[in-house]
Amino acid sequence: MWGFYFEQLIDSLPIFLKGLWITASVSGLSLIAGSIIGFFWGIIRGGKGRILRRLIGAWVDLIRGTPFLVQIFVIFFIFPEAGINLEAFPAAVIALTNLAACFICEIVAGGIQAVPSGQKEAATASGLSAYQRLRYVILPQSMRTILPPLVGQYVLTIKDSSIVSVIGVIDVTRAGWLTVQRIPEGVLVFGLVGILYFVICYPLIQLSSNLEKRMTVVATRL
Amino acid sequence: MLETFNFRVILEYMPLYFKCFSATLWLSGAGLIGALLVGTVACAMRLSQSRIVSLIAGVYIESIRSTPLLAQIYFFYFGLPSLGIMFSEEVTGIFALTLNSGAYMAEIIRAGIQSIPHGQIEAGIASGLSYFQRMRYIILPQALGVTILPLLGQGIVLVKDSSLLSLISIMELTRAGQILTSERFMPAEGFLTTAAFYLIIYYILKGFSSWVQKRLIFREAY
Amino acid sequence: MITFSNVNKWFGDLHVLRDINLSVGAGEVMVVCGPSGSGKSTLIRCINRLEQIEEGDLIVDGMNVHDRKVNMTQLRAEIGFIFQQFNLYPHMTALENVILAPTKVRKMKKDEADKLGRETLKRVGLGDKVDSYPAQLSGGQQQRVAIARGLCMRPKIMLFDEPTSALDPEMINEVLEVMVNLAKEGMTMIVVTHEMGFAREVAERILFMDEGQIVEIAPPEEFFTKPKSERTKLFLSKILTH
Repeated sequence: MWGFYFEQLIDSLPIFLKGLWITASVSGLSLIAGSIIGFFWGIIRGGKGRILRRLIGAWVDLIRGTPFLVQIFVIFFIFPEAGINLEAFPAAVIALTNLAACFICEIVAGGIQAVPSGQKEAATASGLSAYQRLRYVILPQSMRTILPPLVGQYVLTIKDSSIVSVIGVIDVTRAGWLTVQRIPEGVLVFGLVGILYFVICYPLIQLSSNLEKRMTVVATRL
Repeated sequence: MLETFNFRVILEYMPLYFKCFSATLWLSGAGLIGALLVGTVACAMRLSQSRIVSLIAGVYIESIRSTPLLAQIYFFYFGLPSLGIMFSEEVTGIFALTLNSGAYMAEIIRAGIQSIPHGQIEAGIASGLSYFQRMRYIILPQALGVTILPLLGQGIVLVKDSSLLSLISIMELTRAGQILTSERFMPAEGFLTTAAFYLIIYYILKGFSSWVQKRLIFREAY
Repeated sequence: MITFSNVNKWFGDLHVLRDINLSVGAGEVMVVCGPSGSGKSTLIRCINRLEQIEEGDLIVDGMNVHDRKVNMTQLRAEIGFIFQQFNLYPHMTALENVILAPTKVRKMKKDEADKLGRETLKRVGLGDKVDSYPAQLSGGQQQRVAIARGLCMRPKIMLFDEPTSALDPEMINEVLEVMVNLAKEGMTMIVVTHEMGFAREVAERILFMDEGQIVEIAPPEEFFTKPKSERTKLFLSKILTH
């Protein structure tokens, strides 16, 4: 029986590869946009402006406090009520970008706050502008704290992208869901889905923990 | 959008929401307890002297961490019946949540144990404490201090992750939103109410987390 | 009490202990000094097998430490060990730190251990700090708690691995004072330290190590006034100028 289904599964490989491409584009686009927005928010949140800091903090809490599945439903079903009609793909990218930005914002803010205040004072005392302090003193030092969890967050985002399958984006998970209707061998079909994700995520997880090791070695040497 | 927000319908569906709210609590509670057990065992295996035992735990942890929860849920939901194993949706759901969170718990506990400075272990050895006594009196109490916050964080993640169980038609908070949406065509009322309930859990757990954080004074020793 | 015969040890390619032959008698106080990386810490860490030796025999209190069959837990209970970084348990109070091993290893009753712990803390001058956590104590106080923790096991031997190196200068004396009293009470002690004032006052012999070898062993008088080896002279000239 397995042999028969296995052949059928090989026949449906093109859907999976297409799904892999969609997974890669949804998460790739969201990661790029999410990183830019997340760093921007994080720098504000790690800074001094009270009102903006609170505002971003409240938004981050709302997003971190609710499941991504619910967020996707809100964007996909409620936005049209307000007259904003979105296709599934852009809706998915917007939701995932926002999610990634919120988590990256917290990572960046944490990294900035971890830089000893003496460093900021020294930079201020030597007459650097706010931008220069950030660019030459604070960010380079905080990258050590930011980088490992950032790569970890990328892995989480790629995995979270599987949830956009529920609004009909045909990514790897959706490809599996469609295939399992025809080939009732869940272990085989979702085993393949798992392998496809594993190939992307595992190297990134290793990279993250390697970075962490290297960064802490540097830290103890200092 | 807000002016047309129909609070009467929400009130009408409140009994359903309360039922589903407690279902979410019990599903994630069961998952949490299971995950703690699985995580502790997996961590002990990962740190074992025996290569094979450690490898088995490693394969489990890495394959869970490298694939999305949704794919895992589908794997068990479609896969177990094809292997001739029939579980109810709830059991399948809790099983998937437990295995998923267990892998993350294992890593959190391992990081906690490995964060104890080597001098602590040496001090225990030098005063003649046995391996078990060192674990019981020196390493675990300190590891608990280090791990309690990430464990609570994983608890928050677990509650949000349980929303994915709605996709295999388990009754819980997100499912309640879907039901209201499909019966009355009111996605805003349906999903925003769902989100509000999740936020209640989130803020309670977050508040508890910061309360715990303030009480962990002894950690300042390092 | 402690006898090294032809002890050798390597860390990978690094030969950290070379043909160590040494014997320390009961009640003797010996100070070990030498440049960093000379193997002096490794030397005393071998005595309670925090480090394994690869060759030779090391007899402590009649037991061969190198022998895998020896019950190390029992032997370690007889040897107090004081670390450079104190290594107090941060989640326990001073008293809890001190009585953990007596109650768990010696199986002493709780109230008995409690009494002993309080007495010992008083003996190191910390009678009023029993309920303080390590984070609330100064470095000197933490190290004295660590010494009390060692003493509570009523050890036959006390080993000190640079006990004052991590301390601020003004705290060194309070720790040395406790150690001097201990020496005068007749404890067998091996102390790795660069505190030459302490060495002169209480040591019966001073051992100088360099590159894993014992270069010179002599009574303080002789060690300071007429060292035999050039390496010892060089070391002393560096260390005594501060």
